[in-house]
Amino acid sequence: MSTRTVYFIVAVAIFVLALIAIAIYYYRRSQKSSQKNWERLLKRLTAVDRSSIAEVALDIIDESGRRRKDEASAVLESEQIWKMVGGLKGLEVLEANCAVLVDLAFYVQQWYPEALVVAEQLRLSARDIEWHVGRLKSAQQTGKLESAFTMYAQPAVATYYLMTRRVLALYEERNLAMLADLRNAL
Amino acid sequence: MQLTGLDLLFWAAGLGAHLILLSVLFIRRRFQVFPIFTAFIFANVGRTVTLCFVRLLGSKAGYFYTFWSFGILDTVLQLAVVYEMYSLTFRPLGVWARDLRGAFIGLVSGSIAIAAGLTWLAAPQARLWMQIVIIKGTFFSSACMSELFVGMIVLAVKAGLPWKTHVARISQGLGVYSIIDVLIEAGHSYLGLVRDSQAYTTLSQVRMTAYLFCLAYWVVMLWRNAPDSRRLPDNMRGQLVQLQNMVDSDLEMIRARER
Repeated sequence: MSTRTVYFIVAVAIFVLALIAIAIYYYRRSQKSSQKNWERLLKRLTAVDRSSIAEVALDIIDESGRRRKDEASAVLESEQIWKMVGGLKGLEVLEANCAVLVDLAFYVQQWYPEALVVAEQLRLSARDIEWHVGRLKSAQQTGKLESAFTMYAQPAVATYYLMTRRVLALYEERNLAMLADLRNAL
Repeated sequence: MQLTGLDLLFWAAGLGAHLILLSVLFIRRRFQVFPIFTAFIFANVGRTVTLCFVRLLGSKAGYFYTFWSFGILDTVLQLAVVYEMYSLTFRPLGVWARDLRGAFIGLVSGSIAIAAGLTWLAAPQARLWMQIVIIKGTFFSSACMSELFVGMIVLAVKAGLPWKTHVARISQGLGVYSIIDVLIEAGHSYLGLVRDSQAYTTLSQVRMTAYLFCLAYWVVMLWRNAPDSRRLPDNMRGQLVQLQNMVDSDLEMIRARER
């Protein structure tokens, strides 16, 4: 048996095993997504230090979500923000919540085709936010996060703050039983 | 080459299974949703019947060229079926999901590159250059198909786009068959056409058996109806619209900060 044939056999074996492993992993993930329900999905919001998040967010935005332009705005230093946010983990919380939105869209598209348009718009928006957060993470990996931090991270935290606040509002509107737990978590 | 009883059995089973599947596609009106898949099955019926007549009435060379012409058509139609499955999954609103365009390009170019690399490594032994081209071409095609089906699962899960029930069943059948086919074609490539021809034939029979199982799976799954969709409760619709507004506003804010 020639060396090339040995390489071929090994390469095909690795290729097929990798394909099977990837297919099984993602198939099982899709099965799990199919079995989730609306309430359980909404409960997946990640717990964070809400007071720190609020402080960082309200440094650049007001309660309505508009950018502050007064003299007392944008006074937090990068190091302070980094500490209060909890480093990159704080940004990953935003990403995790976007993943929840993608799952919500998946759920709706699967079971309620009549709401396809809204669900698809929600999915696209959430994916777009994920992409933006991905840019921040890339900046961190290439060692450029420090310079980009104020520019990207604080707005991302502000976005997270607004998003969770609005989700809480939704829960309050529906007077859901898990509101107290959710409020503690967020 | 003389046909054995087993060869005839495979021929009859293949024709019968394709005809049953074709009947299911028409009786259950699945052909309206899957016109390319229906054409693929129809072409397989046509191939089996044509090859039978060519074998009985034509020459050996005529059979060879007819067989491989249909082989090329089969590959083209399989790729078209992949397109149909992608289209039904990744175009929920009638246009390709814009967040996946880059991923599609990466998947297709990556699949072709990996399949080409593996095919380059293959060194089948054969008497004629055309036999080498056929063995390598078949291996390349099966490697690409398996990658595209696995890639479809990955993209759908990552993007959060659900498979419609029958799309999932067709894709699963063809995907599993494609992975088995990679192993079979790798075996063909290893054995070549100058050594043990019995082993080569046995591998082909294993592939045909796998394909028959795949056909049986499609017959059962396409006969069954997909689960009924549910009516969206008003409160959930309200939540959904509010979530959409919220995410849109957040997105605008992030974009504004990046400018």
